Amino acid sequence: MNLIDRYVSEVGKHLPLLNGREDIEKELKSTLEDMLEDRAQNSGQARDEAMEIEVLKEYGSPQKVAQTYNPHPYLIGPKLFPFFLFVLKIVLTVVVSVMLVLAGIQAVTDTPFMGADFAKIIGQGLGSALSAAIAAFGNVVLVFVILERVLPDKEIGSFDDEKEWDPASLAKEPDPDSVSRSELIAEIVFTFVALAILNIYPQWLGMFFFTENEQVFFPIFTEKFFQFVPYINIVLVGKILLDIYLLRNAIWNQLTRLSKVVIEAASLTLTVLILRAPDIIAFSAESLANGPFEPEQAEIFATIATYTFPMMMAIVIIIQSIELVKAVYRLFKMRRETA
Amino acid sequence: MAKTESIENVVLELRRGVIVLATLSQLGSAEYGYSLLKKLADLGLDVDQGTLYPLLRRLEAQGLLESVWKLEEARPRRYYVISAEGKKLLPKMKKEWAGIVKVMDKMLS
Repeated sequence: MNLIDRYVSEVGKHLPLLNGREDIEKELKSTLEDMLEDRAQNSGQARDEAMEIEVLKEYGSPQKVAQTYNPHPYLIGPKLFPFFLFVLKIVLTVVVSVMLVLAGIQAVTDTPFMGADFAKIIGQGLGSALSAAIAAFGNVVLVFVILERVLPDKEIGSFDDEKEWDPASLAKEPDPDSVSRSELIAEIVFTFVALAILNIYPQWLGMFFFTENEQVFFPIFTEKFFQFVPYINIVLVGKILLDIYLLRNAIWNQLTRLSKVVIEAASLTLTVLILRAPDIIAFSAESLANGPFEPEQAEIFATIATYTFPMMMAIVIIIQSIELVKAVYRLFKMRRETA
Repeated sequence: MAKTESIENVVLELRRGVIVLATLSQLGSAEYGYSLLKKLADLGLDVDQGTLYPLLRRLEAQGLLESVWKLEEARPRRYYVISAEGKKLLPKMKKEWAGIVKVMDKMLS
């Protein structure tokens, strides 16, 4: 392998992973050969290694040359960046608020208002909120980095509303078949965060209680709940794929409407199955009594938890039912209009 | 040193804006990268290889250029030529350029 081939190969190593890497290398080699031929002709000297070194030095370091072919020198481009900030603010606000509320509940129910334990719980709560915020930030960045690379340029371009925005559109009726990009992106991010929590951070689904000497973690769910996780994953991934498809196409069609019905029906079925499954909640008077609770306190806490879960699931089922009915109605309406 | 660099950057930015027009205008007949580079230099526009080659790929991706590999002198060369879409755009760019020159002449004279 001569110097030129080694240089071309080195440039190739630093090229971004895109189609046409071989093409770039082939063109670069051809150009360098042309330059050397030209130089040899002009100087009247035969081509040698010194001339090759001179040409390569002039052309620049392999990293620098490869960088000029990089269409994405940034993680999140300027057109998606405002949406990234929009979603990030929502996600961070929700995540930090939830973590702080959980820490607050724990501090109030678990310890006296003053003292080392109270300060410890508050400190731990702030620490958890910070680590959750960092993890959420990482996940949001990851989603947008993927969107930046998955969405075609023209779709990313259409996020730049300022150029296309028409004040007259304020008076227009919204098109029922158009999609709201910001809502879709927010949904993708939240679904992604849910996937991450269920699969990577299941330990977050629980509460810490502090005794004098140790901290005790009580998971909210039993192993039986985690048997549903693969099915939940399928539904959540389906949601993300549908949202990405809608982002690319910008408008609902019969296929996406039908997919929405299927996903909503699957979500509802899954929620009902989880609700009907016995022994899903890990909190029980016996297990809590082993922790920092007195038997009576444990009984009360377990009772609250046992009743709260079905109530929350019932609310989720109502919301999902409404979403399913809306999805079915919109599908039939679209079919009627296109018939 | 920093001041010289910033002046160079301003000049570079100014020139960068015209490279697309210059490139499209010179690709009425097929040229390979290095021959185009020399052609532009002969006409007085020195363009860095690191700018021209990625630009050619970008213009091709945008549908303004077409390219084909040809084997010449035992060496494959990629020839670029303006596409139908590029031909439609070129007169508009020329008109825009003429307008800019006119305005800037007025401002700078």
